[in-house]
Amino acid sequence: MFNITDVKQLIEAVDASSIRELSYEGEEGKLTLRKDTHQTTHTAVQQPATVEPTLAPVEQKPVNDEAVAVNSEKEVNYDHVIHSPMVGTFYLTSSPDTPPYVEVGDTVTEKSVVCIIEAMKLFNEIEAEVDGTIVEILAKNGELVEYNQPLFGIKKA
Amino acid sequence: MVLSIRERLVRLLSQEQSGYVSGQWLSDELSCSRTAVWKHIKQLEEEGYTFDAVPNKGYRLVALPKHMTENTLRWNLSSDWLGQSIEHYPSIDSTQVRAHERARAGADEGLVISADQQLNGRGRMQRPFDSTDAKGVWLSFILRPQLAPTEAAKLTLVTAVALVDTFKQMINLDVKIKWPNDIYLNQKKIAGVLTEMEAEMDQIHYVIVGIGVNLNQRTSDFDPLLQDRVTSLFEETGETLDKQVFIQRLLETFEKWYTVFLTEGFVPIQKEWNRYVFKLNQPVYFLKQNERVKGLVQGLSAEGALVVVIEEHEHVKLYSSDIEWFRGE
Repeated sequence: MFNITDVKQLIEAVDASSIRELSYEGEEGKLTLRKDTHQTTHTAVQQPATVEPTLAPVEQKPVNDEAVAVNSEKEVNYDHVIHSPMVGTFYLTSSPDTPPYVEVGDTVTEKSVVCIIEAMKLFNEIEAEVDGTIVEILAKNGELVEYNQPLFGIKKA
Repeated sequence: MVLSIRERLVRLLSQEQSGYVSGQWLSDELSCSRTAVWKHIKQLEEEGYTFDAVPNKGYRLVALPKHMTENTLRWNLSSDWLGQSIEHYPSIDSTQVRAHERARAGADEGLVISADQQLNGRGRMQRPFDSTDAKGVWLSFILRPQLAPTEAAKLTLVTAVALVDTFKQMINLDVKIKWPNDIYLNQKKIAGVLTEMEAEMDQIHYVIVGIGVNLNQRTSDFDPLLQDRVTSLFEETGETLDKQVFIQRLLETFEKWYTVFLTEGFVPIQKEWNRYVFKLNQPVYFLKQNERVKGLVQGLSAEGALVVVIEEHEHVKLYSSDIEWFRGE
Protein backbone atom coordinates (compact mmCIF):
# COMPACT_ATOMS: atom_id res chain seq x y z
CA MET A 1 0.00 0.00 0.00
CA PHE A 2 1.33 3.39 -0.91
CA ASN A 3 1.64 6.13 1.61
CA ILE A 4 -0.54 9.02 0.44
CA THR A 5 2.07 11.63 1.47
CA ASP A 6 4.74 9.84 -0.56
CA VAL A 7 2.49 9.69 -3.60
CA LYS A 8 1.71 13.35 -3.27
CA GLN A 9 5.40 14.18 -3.09
CA LEU A 10 6.04 11.99 -6.08
CA ILE A 11 3.32 13.76 -8.06
CA GLU A 12 4.81 17.12 -7.21
CA ALA A 13 8.26 15.98 -8.18
CA VAL A 14 7.04 14.66 -11.53
CA ASP A 15 5.02 17.80 -12.06
CA ALA A 16 8.05 19.99 -11.57
CA SER A 17 10.27 17.83 -13.78
CA SER A 18 10.43 17.43 -17.52
CA ILE A 19 9.44 13.77 -17.18
CA ARG A 20 6.13 12.93 -18.76
CA GLU A 21 5.63 9.45 -17.46
CA LEU A 22 6.95 7.55 -14.48
CA SER A 23 6.36 3.93 -13.61
CA TYR A 24 7.39 2.45 -10.34
CA GLU A 25 7.05 -1.09 -9.08
CA GLY A 26 7.94 -2.23 -5.61
CA GLU A 27 6.70 -4.08 -2.60
CA GLU A 28 3.89 -1.58 -2.16
CA GLY A 29 2.48 -2.23 -5.59
CA LYS A 30 2.67 -0.68 -8.99
CA LEU A 31 2.28 3.01 -9.71
CA THR A 32 2.26 4.90 -12.99
CA LEU A 33 2.18 8.66 -13.18
CA ARG A 34 1.54 10.27 -16.51
CA LYS A 35 1.42 13.99 -17.08
CA ASP A 36 -1.35 15.53 -19.03
CA THR A 37 0.26 16.85 -22.18
CA HIS A 38 -1.43 19.56 -24.11
CA GLN A 39 0.56 19.78 -27.25
CA THR A 40 -1.51 22.56 -28.67
CA THR A 41 0.60 24.48 -31.11
CA HIS A 42 -0.91 27.86 -30.91
CA THR A 43 -0.69 30.22 -33.78
CA ALA A 44 -1.98 33.66 -34.46
CA VAL A 45 -4.73 32.10 -36.49
CA GLN A 46 -7.64 31.11 -34.39
CA GLN A 47 -10.54 29.10 -35.56
CA PRO A 48 -13.83 30.86 -35.07
CA ALA A 49 -16.62 29.42 -33.01
CA THR A 50 -18.99 29.64 -35.91
CA VAL A 51 -17.72 29.07 -39.37
CA GLU A 52 -18.52 30.46 -42.73
CA PRO A 53 -17.60 27.59 -44.97
CA THR A 54 -17.06 29.80 -47.99
CA LEU A 55 -14.45 31.92 -46.34
CA ALA A 56 -12.06 29.76 -44.48
CA PRO A 57 -11.02 26.15 -44.66
CA VAL A 58 -11.37 25.29 -41.04
CA GLU A 59 -10.33 22.29 -39.08
CA GLN A 60 -12.38 22.32 -35.96
CA LYS A 61 -10.09 21.87 -33.05
CA PRO A 62 -11.71 19.65 -30.46
CA VAL A 63 -12.05 21.05 -27.01
CA ASN A 64 -9.24 19.58 -25.03
CA ASP A 65 -10.87 17.90 -22.11
CA GLU A 66 -8.05 15.50 -21.37
CA ALA A 67 -7.37 17.66 -18.41
CA VAL A 68 -10.65 16.88 -16.72
CA ALA A 69 -10.49 13.22 -17.55
CA VAL A 70 -7.09 12.89 -16.01
CA ASN A 71 -5.45 9.56 -16.63
CA SER A 72 -6.94 7.02 -14.41
CA GLU A 73 -3.57 6.13 -12.93
CA LYS A 74 -3.24 9.61 -11.57
CA GLU A 75 -5.42 10.60 -8.72
CA VAL A 76 -7.24 13.83 -9.30
CA ASN A 77 -6.28 15.97 -6.39
CA TYR A 78 -8.53 18.90 -7.19
CA ASP A 79 -12.27 19.17 -6.92
CA HIS A 80 -13.01 22.35 -8.81
CA VAL A 81 -12.09 23.25 -12.37
CA ILE A 82 -12.12 26.75 -13.82
CA HIS A 83 -13.15 26.68 -17.47
CA SER A 84 -12.65 29.32 -20.11
CA PRO A 85 -15.86 31.26 -20.78
CA MET A 86 -14.68 32.17 -24.28
CA VAL A 87 -12.28 31.47 -27.09
CA GLY A 88 -9.16 33.54 -26.67
CA THR A 89 -5.56 33.82 -25.60
CA PHE A 90 -4.73 32.66 -22.08
CA TYR A 91 -2.50 34.97 -20.04
CA LEU A 92 -1.16 34.06 -16.63
CA THR A 93 0.38 37.49 -16.15
CA SER A 94 -1.05 40.95 -16.58
CA SER A 95 2.05 42.00 -18.53
CA PRO A 96 5.27 40.34 -19.65
CA ASP A 97 7.15 41.98 -16.77
CA THR A 98 4.89 41.10 -13.89
CA PRO A 99 4.74 37.86 -11.93
CA PRO A 100 1.85 35.48 -12.67
CA TYR A 101 -1.47 36.07 -10.96
CA VAL A 102 -1.23 32.64 -9.37
CA GLU A 103 1.13 29.72 -9.15
CA VAL A 104 0.60 26.13 -8.11
CA GLY A 105 0.23 26.02 -4.36
CA ASP A 106 -1.20 29.51 -4.05
CA THR A 107 -4.23 30.06 -1.91
CA VAL A 108 -7.04 31.86 -3.66
CA THR A 109 -10.36 33.27 -2.64
CA GLU A 110 -13.56 33.37 -4.64
CA LYS A 111 -12.68 36.84 -5.96
CA SER A 112 -9.00 36.26 -6.75
CA VAL A 113 -8.11 36.96 -10.36
CA VAL A 114 -6.29 33.90 -11.67
CA CYS A 115 -5.73 34.76 -15.33
CA ILE A 116 -6.83 36.82 -18.30
CA ILE A 117 -8.44 35.58 -21.51
CA GLU A 118 -8.12 37.98 -24.40
CA ALA A 119 -10.15 37.95 -27.60
CA MET A 120 -10.22 40.79 -30.09
CA LYS A 121 -8.79 43.05 -27.41
CA LEU A 122 -11.49 42.26 -24.92
CA PHE A 123 -9.69 41.33 -21.73
CA ASN A 124 -11.57 38.97 -19.49
CA GLU A 125 -10.31 38.69 -15.94
CA ILE A 126 -11.12 35.22 -14.68
CA GLU A 127 -11.84 34.78 -10.99
CA ALA A 128 -11.25 31.65 -8.95
CA GLU A 129 -14.99 31.26 -8.15
CA VAL A 130 -14.15 29.26 -5.02
CA ASP A 131 -11.88 29.53 -2.02
CA GLY A 132 -9.06 27.03 -2.18
CA THR A 133 -5.61 26.16 -3.43
CA ILE A 134 -4.36 26.09 -7.00
CA VAL A 135 -3.36 22.50 -7.62
CA GLU A 136 -2.78 22.52 -11.32
CA ILE A 137 -2.53 25.04 -14.14
CA LEU A 138 -3.98 23.30 -17.16
CA ALA A 139 -3.18 25.79 -19.93
CA LYS A 140 0.04 27.42 -21.02
CA ASN A 141 0.68 31.14 -20.86
CA GLY A 142 0.00 32.60 -24.30
CA GLU A 143 -1.90 29.52 -25.45
CA LEU A 144 -5.05 29.80 -27.49
CA VAL A 145 -7.85 28.29 -25.44
CA GLU A 146 -11.22 27.05 -26.55
CA TYR A 147 -14.60 27.74 -25.05
CA ASN A 148 -15.02 25.58 -21.95
CA GLN A 149 -11.40 24.45 -21.91
CA PRO A 150 -10.21 23.67 -18.36
CA LEU A 151 -7.74 26.28 -17.12
CA PHE A 152 -7.10 25.53 -13.46
CA GLY A 153 -7.63 22.71 -11.01
CA ILE A 154 -8.42 23.93 -7.51
CA LYS A 155 -8.67 22.03 -4.26
CA LYS A 156 -11.50 23.69 -2.40
CA ALA A 157 -10.80 24.92 1.06
CA MET B 1 -25.54 66.86 -37.49
CA VAL B 2 -26.56 70.29 -36.39
CA LEU B 3 -24.17 72.12 -34.15
CA SER B 4 -25.52 74.54 -31.60
CA ILE B 5 -24.67 78.22 -31.99
CA ARG B 6 -22.28 77.94 -29.10
CA GLU B 7 -20.50 74.97 -30.61
CA ARG B 8 -20.17 76.84 -33.90
CA LEU B 9 -18.96 79.92 -32.07
CA VAL B 10 -16.22 77.93 -30.36
CA ARG B 11 -15.21 76.44 -33.68
CA LEU B 12 -15.07 79.78 -35.47
CA LEU B 13 -12.97 81.31 -32.73
CA SER B 14 -10.69 78.31 -32.41
CA GLN B 15 -9.91 78.40 -36.13
CA GLU B 16 -8.67 81.95 -35.72
CA GLN B 17 -6.40 81.62 -32.74
CA SER B 18 -3.74 84.04 -33.87
CA GLY B 19 -6.00 86.95 -34.63
CA TYR B 20 -9.19 88.61 -33.55
CA VAL B 21 -12.61 87.98 -35.03
CA SER B 22 -15.08 90.82 -35.15
CA GLY B 23 -18.43 90.56 -33.45
CA GLN B 24 -20.08 91.58 -36.70
CA TRP B 25 -18.44 88.77 -38.66
CA LEU B 26 -19.45 86.28 -35.98
CA SER B 27 -23.04 87.51 -36.00
CA ASP B 28 -23.13 87.16 -39.80
CA GLU B 29 -21.63 83.67 -39.72
CA LEU B 30 -23.95 82.50 -36.96
CA SER B 31 -27.01 84.37 -38.24
CA CYS B 32 -27.71 85.94 -34.90
CA SER B 33 -27.46 89.42 -33.43
CA ARG B 34 -24.24 90.84 -32.01
CA THR B 35 -25.93 90.98 -28.64
CA ALA B 36 -26.64 87.28 -28.91
CA VAL B 37 -22.99 86.64 -29.77
CA TRP B 38 -21.99 88.61 -26.69
CA LYS B 39 -24.39 86.59 -24.54
CA HIS B 40 -22.97 83.31 -25.85
CA ILE B 41 -19.46 84.55 -25.17
CA LYS B 42 -20.46 85.39 -21.60
CA GLN B 43 -21.96 81.94 -21.12
CA LEU B 44 -18.87 80.28 -22.50
CA GLU B 45 -16.79 82.33 -20.09
CA GLU B 46 -18.86 80.98 -17.26
CA GLU B 47 -17.99 77.50 -18.46
CA GLY B 48 -14.33 78.36 -18.24
CA TYR B 49 -13.47 79.58 -21.74
CA THR B 50 -11.23 82.62 -21.70
CA PHE B 51 -11.59 85.32 -24.36
CA ASP B 52 -9.71 88.44 -25.11
CA ALA B 53 -12.22 91.11 -26.18
CA VAL B 54 -10.78 94.29 -27.70
CA PRO B 55 -12.97 97.16 -28.93
CA ASN B 56 -12.87 97.58 -32.73
CA LYS B 57 -10.94 94.33 -33.11
CA GLY B 58 -13.28 91.73 -31.70
CA TYR B 59 -12.84 88.47 -29.87
CA ARG B 60 -9.98 86.07 -29.56
CA LEU B 61 -10.17 82.66 -27.85
CA VAL B 62 -7.36 82.51 -25.34
CA ALA B 63 -8.06 79.32 -23.44
CA LEU B 64 -10.44 76.42 -23.33
CA PRO B 65 -12.19 75.59 -20.10
CA LYS B 66 -9.90 74.08 -17.58
CA HIS B 67 -12.61 72.82 -15.35
CA MET B 68 -14.87 70.31 -16.85
CA THR B 69 -17.30 69.23 -14.19
CA GLU B 70 -19.98 66.62 -13.84
CA ASN B 71 -22.51 69.38 -14.35
CA THR B 72 -20.99 70.79 -17.49
CA LEU B 73 -20.65 67.28 -18.87
CA ARG B 74 -24.26 66.38 -18.24
CA TRP B 75 -25.51 69.69 -19.54
CA ASN B 76 -26.84 69.16 -23.07
CA LEU B 77 -26.10 65.44 -22.94
CA SER B 78 -28.97 63.80 -24.79
CA SER B 79 -28.20 60.15 -24.13
CA ASP B 80 -30.81 58.00 -22.40
CA TRP B 81 -28.58 56.28 -19.88
CA LEU B 82 -24.91 56.44 -20.83
CA GLY B 83 -23.31 59.24 -18.82
CA GLN B 84 -26.50 60.28 -17.09
CA SER B 85 -24.58 59.19 -14.09
CA ILE B 86 -21.04 60.53 -14.28
CA GLU B 87 -18.00 61.09 -12.10
CA HIS B 88 -15.43 63.55 -13.34
CA TYR B 89 -12.01 63.98 -11.76
CA PRO B 90 -9.46 66.71 -12.45
CA SER B 91 -6.86 64.05 -11.80
CA ILE B 92 -7.10 60.32 -11.16
CA ASP B 93 -4.82 57.28 -11.24
CA SER B 94 -6.87 55.52 -13.87
CA THR B 95 -10.50 55.90 -14.94
CA GLN B 96 -10.46 52.18 -15.76
CA VAL B 97 -9.45 51.13 -12.27
CA ARG B 98 -12.07 53.41 -10.71
CA ALA B 99 -14.76 52.05 -13.03
CA HIS B 100 -13.86 48.49 -11.98
CA GLU B 101 -14.21 49.49 -8.33
CA ARG B 102 -17.59 51.06 -8.97
CA ALA B 103 -18.81 48.08 -11.00
CA ARG B 104 -17.75 45.61 -8.33
CA ALA B 105 -19.62 47.71 -5.79
CA GLY B 106 -22.74 47.32 -7.92
CA ALA B 107 -22.87 50.54 -9.97
CA ASP B 108 -25.45 50.59 -12.73
CA GLU B 109 -24.86 50.27 -16.44
CA GLY B 110 -24.02 53.65 -17.92
CA LEU B 111 -21.86 55.13 -15.16
CA VAL B 112 -19.05 57.14 -16.76
CA ILE B 113 -15.75 57.91 -15.06
CA SER B 114 -13.84 60.67 -16.81
CA ALA B 115 -10.75 62.65 -15.96
CA ASP B 116 -8.80 65.63 -17.20
CA GLN B 117 -5.66 63.79 -16.37
CA GLN B 118 -4.72 60.20 -15.62
CA LEU B 119 -1.57 59.73 -13.59
CA ASN B 120 -1.34 56.02 -14.25
CA GLY B 121 -3.34 55.41 -17.39
CA ARG B 122 -3.50 51.80 -18.47
CA GLY B 123 -3.13 50.40 -21.94
CA ARG B 124 -3.28 46.84 -23.14
CA MET B 125 -1.38 44.36 -20.99
CA GLN B 126 -0.71 47.08 -18.41
CA ARG B 127 1.30 49.09 -20.88
CA PRO B 128 1.52 52.64 -19.65
CA PHE B 129 -0.78 54.89 -21.55
CA ASP B 130 0.16 58.54 -21.87
CA SER B 131 -2.90 60.41 -20.72
CA THR B 132 -1.50 63.06 -18.47
CA ASP B 133 -2.59 65.85 -20.75
CA ALA B 134 -5.87 67.64 -20.08
CA LYS B 135 -6.21 68.30 -23.81
CA GLY B 136 -7.16 64.69 -24.40
CA VAL B 137 -10.30 62.69 -23.60
CA TRP B 138 -9.91 59.97 -21.00
CA LEU B 139 -12.93 58.05 -19.83
CA SER B 140 -14.27 54.62 -18.90
CA PHE B 141 -17.81 53.39 -18.57
CA ILE B 142 -19.71 50.42 -17.22
CA LEU B 143 -21.87 48.12 -19.34
CA ARG B 144 -23.93 45.20 -18.16
CA PRO B 145 -25.08 43.58 -21.39
CA GLN B 146 -27.37 40.57 -21.49
CA LEU B 147 -25.03 38.74 -23.83
CA ALA B 148 -23.25 35.44 -23.79
CA PRO B 149 -19.66 36.10 -22.72
CA THR B 150 -18.52 34.67 -26.06
CA GLU B 151 -20.30 37.52 -27.85
CA ALA B 152 -18.80 40.24 -25.69
CA ALA B 153 -15.59 40.62 -27.69
CA LYS B 154 -17.65 42.24 -30.43
CA LEU B 155 -18.14 45.21 -28.12
CA THR B 156 -14.62 46.30 -29.02
CA LEU B 157 -15.78 46.65 -32.64
CA VAL B 158 -18.96 48.46 -31.58
CA THR B 159 -16.76 50.96 -29.73
CA ALA B 160 -14.59 51.49 -32.81
CA VAL B 161 -17.64 52.20 -34.95
CA ALA B 162 -18.98 54.65 -32.35
CA LEU B 163 -15.65 56.49 -32.24
CA VAL B 164 -15.46 56.87 -36.00
CA ASP B 165 -19.06 58.04 -36.13
CA THR B 166 -18.32 60.63 -33.43
CA PHE B 167 -15.32 61.99 -35.34
CA LYS B 168 -17.41 62.13 -38.50
CA GLN B 169 -20.12 64.14 -36.76
CA MET B 170 -17.68 66.68 -35.40
CA ILE B 171 -15.45 67.21 -38.40
CA ASN B 172 -15.04 65.77 -41.85
CA LEU B 173 -12.13 63.40 -41.50
CA ASP B 174 -10.75 60.34 -43.23
CA VAL B 175 -10.44 58.22 -40.09
CA LYS B 176 -9.73 54.49 -40.28
CA ILE B 177 -10.11 51.57 -37.90
CA LYS B 178 -7.09 49.39 -37.30
CA TRP B 179 -8.50 46.04 -36.29
CA PRO B 180 -10.08 45.66 -33.88
CA ASN B 181 -10.47 49.09 -32.34
CA ASP B 182 -7.63 51.58 -32.79
CA ILE B 183 -8.56 54.76 -34.63
CA TYR B 184 -6.07 56.10 -37.16
CA LEU B 185 -5.84 59.35 -39.02
CA ASN B 186 -3.17 59.84 -41.69
CA GLN B 187 -1.39 56.62 -40.62
CA LYS B 188 -1.13 57.74 -37.01
CA LYS B 189 -3.14 56.74 -33.98
CA ILE B 190 -5.55 59.28 -32.54
CA ALA B 191 -7.72 57.10 -30.32
CA GLY B 192 -7.46 53.80 -28.47
CA VAL B 193 -9.77 51.52 -26.56
CA LEU B 194 -9.27 49.09 -23.69
CA THR B 195 -12.20 46.77 -22.98
CA GLU B 196 -12.27 44.54 -19.94
CA MET B 197 -14.86 42.08 -18.75
CA GLU B 198 -15.75 40.12 -15.69
CA ALA B 199 -17.81 37.11 -16.52
CA GLU B 200 -18.64 33.56 -15.65
CA MET B 201 -19.30 30.81 -18.16
CA ASP B 202 -22.83 31.88 -18.92
CA GLN B 203 -23.12 35.39 -17.57
CA ILE B 204 -21.39 38.73 -17.89
CA HIS B 205 -21.02 40.54 -14.60
CA TYR B 206 -19.87 43.72 -16.25
CA VAL B 207 -17.79 45.18 -19.05
CA ILE B 208 -15.63 48.29 -18.74
CA VAL B 209 -14.93 50.21 -21.92
CA GLY B 210 -12.01 52.62 -21.61
CA ILE B 211 -11.47 55.21 -24.31
CA GLY B 212 -8.61 57.61 -24.91
CA VAL B 213 -8.75 60.27 -27.61
CA ASN B 214 -5.98 62.66 -28.56
CA LEU B 215 -8.01 65.74 -29.22
CA ASN B 216 -6.18 69.01 -28.80
CA GLN B 217 -2.63 68.04 -27.90
CA ARG B 218 0.34 69.37 -29.81
CA THR B 219 2.93 66.94 -31.12
CA SER B 220 5.33 68.29 -28.52
CA ASP B 221 2.92 67.16 -25.80
CA PHE B 222 3.55 63.51 -26.72
CA ASP B 223 6.35 61.31 -25.57
CA PRO B 224 9.18 61.80 -28.12
CA LEU B 225 9.26 58.05 -28.67
CA LEU B 226 5.66 58.08 -29.80
CA GLN B 227 5.65 61.22 -31.89
CA ASP B 228 5.93 59.43 -35.23
CA ARG B 229 3.14 57.01 -34.35
CA VAL B 230 0.65 59.18 -32.53
CA THR B 231 -1.17 62.32 -33.44
CA SER B 232 -4.04 64.49 -32.31
CA LEU B 233 -7.04 65.86 -34.06
CA PHE B 234 -5.61 69.35 -33.68
CA GLU B 235 -2.28 68.38 -35.29
CA GLU B 236 -4.01 66.86 -38.29
CA THR B 237 -6.70 69.47 -38.84
CA GLY B 238 -5.62 72.65 -37.09
CA GLU B 239 -8.97 72.73 -35.35
CA THR B 240 -9.51 72.79 -31.63
CA LEU B 241 -12.58 70.82 -30.73
CA ASP B 242 -14.57 71.39 -27.58
CA LYS B 243 -13.62 68.44 -25.43
CA GLN B 244 -16.85 68.46 -23.51
CA VAL B 245 -18.96 68.43 -26.66
CA PHE B 246 -16.81 65.61 -28.03
CA ILE B 247 -17.42 63.53 -24.90
CA GLN B 248 -21.15 64.16 -25.07
CA ARG B 249 -21.34 63.21 -28.73
CA LEU B 250 -19.22 60.13 -28.04
CA LEU B 251 -21.52 58.94 -25.25
CA GLU B 252 -24.65 59.54 -27.32
CA THR B 253 -23.13 57.84 -30.34
CA PHE B 254 -21.88 54.84 -28.40
CA GLU B 255 -25.31 54.42 -26.86
CA LYS B 256 -26.84 54.45 -30.34
CA TRP B 257 -24.52 51.77 -31.79
CA TYR B 258 -24.65 49.64 -28.65
CA THR B 259 -28.44 49.59 -28.93
CA VAL B 260 -28.18 48.68 -32.61
CA PHE B 261 -25.86 45.80 -31.70
CA LEU B 262 -28.13 44.49 -28.93
CA THR B 263 -31.33 44.75 -30.95
CA GLU B 264 -30.27 44.09 -34.54
CA GLY B 265 -27.16 42.02 -34.03
CA PHE B 266 -23.68 42.30 -35.43
CA VAL B 267 -24.44 42.72 -39.14
CA PRO B 268 -24.99 46.52 -39.07
CA ILE B 269 -21.81 46.92 -36.99
CA GLN B 270 -19.80 44.78 -39.40
CA LYS B 271 -21.13 46.77 -42.33
CA GLU B 272 -20.26 50.12 -40.79
CA TRP B 273 -16.85 48.92 -39.60
CA ASN B 274 -15.99 47.74 -43.10
CA ARG B 275 -16.38 51.29 -44.43
CA TYR B 276 -13.25 52.35 -42.52
CA VAL B 277 -10.74 49.53 -42.87
CA PHE B 278 -7.18 50.61 -42.03
CA LYS B 279 -4.66 49.19 -44.53
CA LEU B 280 -7.35 47.79 -46.81
CA ASN B 281 -5.66 45.56 -49.41
CA GLN B 282 -2.31 46.33 -47.84
CA PRO B 283 0.02 43.79 -46.27
CA VAL B 284 0.22 42.83 -42.62
CA TYR B 285 2.25 40.00 -41.09
CA PHE B 286 1.16 37.33 -38.67
CA LEU B 287 2.14 33.90 -37.38
CA LYS B 288 0.65 30.87 -39.05
CA GLN B 289 1.84 27.51 -37.79
CA ASN B 290 4.81 29.37 -36.32
CA GLU B 291 5.71 30.83 -39.67
CA ARG B 292 5.55 34.52 -40.43
CA VAL B 293 3.05 35.04 -43.21
CA LYS B 294 2.07 38.05 -45.23
CA GLY B 295 -1.61 38.73 -45.82
CA LEU B 296 -3.57 41.48 -47.46
CA VAL B 297 -6.22 43.08 -45.26
CA GLN B 298 -9.77 42.42 -46.50
CA GLY B 299 -11.98 43.60 -43.64
CA LEU B 300 -14.10 42.32 -40.82
CA SER B 301 -15.74 38.87 -40.80
CA ALA B 302 -19.20 38.13 -39.43
CA GLU B 303 -17.52 36.84 -36.25
CA GLY B 304 -15.49 40.00 -35.78
CA ALA B 305 -12.21 38.55 -37.02
CA LEU B 306 -9.84 40.35 -39.33
CA VAL B 307 -9.96 38.69 -42.74
CA VAL B 308 -6.71 38.65 -44.69
CA VAL B 309 -5.98 36.96 -47.97
CA ILE B 310 -2.72 35.09 -48.32
CA GLU B 311 -1.16 33.35 -51.30
CA GLU B 312 -3.41 31.47 -53.70
CA HIS B 313 -6.40 33.51 -52.62
CA GLU B 314 -6.78 31.69 -49.36
CA HIS B 315 -8.78 33.70 -46.85
CA VAL B 316 -7.66 33.54 -43.25
CA LYS B 317 -9.39 34.94 -40.21
CA LEU B 318 -7.26 36.48 -37.51
CA TYR B 319 -8.46 36.74 -33.93
CA SER B 320 -5.23 37.43 -32.13
CA SER B 321 -4.07 40.97 -31.69
CA ASP B 322 -0.54 39.81 -32.43
CA ILE B 323 -0.40 41.25 -35.91
CA GLU B 324 2.50 43.23 -37.32
CA TRP B 325 1.05 46.26 -38.98
CA PHE B 326 4.07 48.39 -39.70
CA ARG B 327 6.85 46.13 -40.92
CA GLY B 328 9.43 47.92 -42.99
CA GLU B 329 7.91 51.35 -42.55
